[in-house]
Amino acid sequence: MKKLLILALPLLAVACVADELAVGAKAPAFTLVNAVDGKTCSFKPGDGKISVVFFTCNQCPYAKAFEPRLIEIAKAYEAKGIAFYAIDPNDEARFAEESLVNMKDRAVSKGYPYPYLKDADSSIARAYGARVTPHVYVVDPTGVVRYVGYVDDSARPEERTKTGLTDALDALLANRSVATASTHAFGCSIKFKS
Amino acid sequence: MRTFALFAAFCLSAGSSAAAKLVEIKEPARIVDAFAPAASLRVVNVWATWCVPCVEEMSDLRAIGDIFGTQVSIVGVSLDDMIPADRAATRQKVAEFLDQKRISYSNLYYSGKSDALADALRFNGEIPITIIYDRRGRELWRRQGKIDRQNTIAEIKKLLRRNP
Repeated sequence: MKKLLILALPLLAVACVADELAVGAKAPAFTLVNAVDGKTCSFKPGDGKISVVFFTCNQCPYAKAFEPRLIEIAKAYEAKGIAFYAIDPNDEARFAEESLVNMKDRAVSKGYPYPYLKDADSSIARAYGARVTPHVYVVDPTGVVRYVGYVDDSARPEERTKTGLTDALDALLANRSVATASTHAFGCSIKFKS
Repeated sequence: MRTFALFAAFCLSAGSSAAAKLVEIKEPARIVDAFAPAASLRVVNVWATWCVPCVEEMSDLRAIGDIFGTQVSIVGVSLDDMIPADRAATRQKVAEFLDQKRISYSNLYYSGKSDALADALRFNGEIPITIIYDRRGRELWRRQGKIDRQNTIAEIKKLLRRNP
């Protein structure tokens, strides 16, 4: 009976407000400063490339737990022509760890194979409806969002059973539709600039 | 030396008792087992030690537990297991953290799939989240993000009038 009750909870619960950019929506463009070299870096959706835009940061343990996995994925898929953009949307005025200097230190020490971009006013995170770090968006060559959610269903490699990000990339590379286009992105809440 | 051994034994016993109080679950359906059956309202709070707003609101939840006593049963669900590390050591760390914070409401150490928890509680993965149910498991209220102590107290008073 007890189990029945908790299983019934989803049916009775109020639907969550889905504020993240929906699958099928046009991805917002951005031009942001890359902490690694101080230069601006632009993403123009519809540039003919499959792109991965993901929100991450310096301080979140869950984002850090996925860092080796994202580096591994980026190295493997950049070789297949896919572009990766890591964006830190956290307010550096409140969290010094998120400054450009500290971002650069982290990117260099970890050997990020992708630009590490500062979303200084958190506007790009808001435009994408990102809530947490890490929060992943896959954009197809025409600029349409085709996957939103987590990297994998577990940060523990031995307990990983669903690989949302690589499944989406493999599907797009094979010109197939993405079977699971939306997953639950867990993580630390984004510290938006107010 | 004997004093040190006694002290060490005390620390070990205190530590393990803290961890023993923190029940590990792998299935979201087990959350319901942790509620006090007589409580009129059941509160689930999903949190982690690494989540700043989660930690900030713990004193508010403790105060709410103190104010409403047996009328309201609060169960915290820790997601610390999501960070890859030794499971037993993490559970011990969470138990000690709860002791340090003098948290008296029930807590569970969730080591199951995040997808399953998100589906069961109908949330999108952002923590903290606090959800209030009635005795029959019907959702009455939810707050994604840090709760406001006074607003939540006022809300619970209102809900208790309707769900005595």
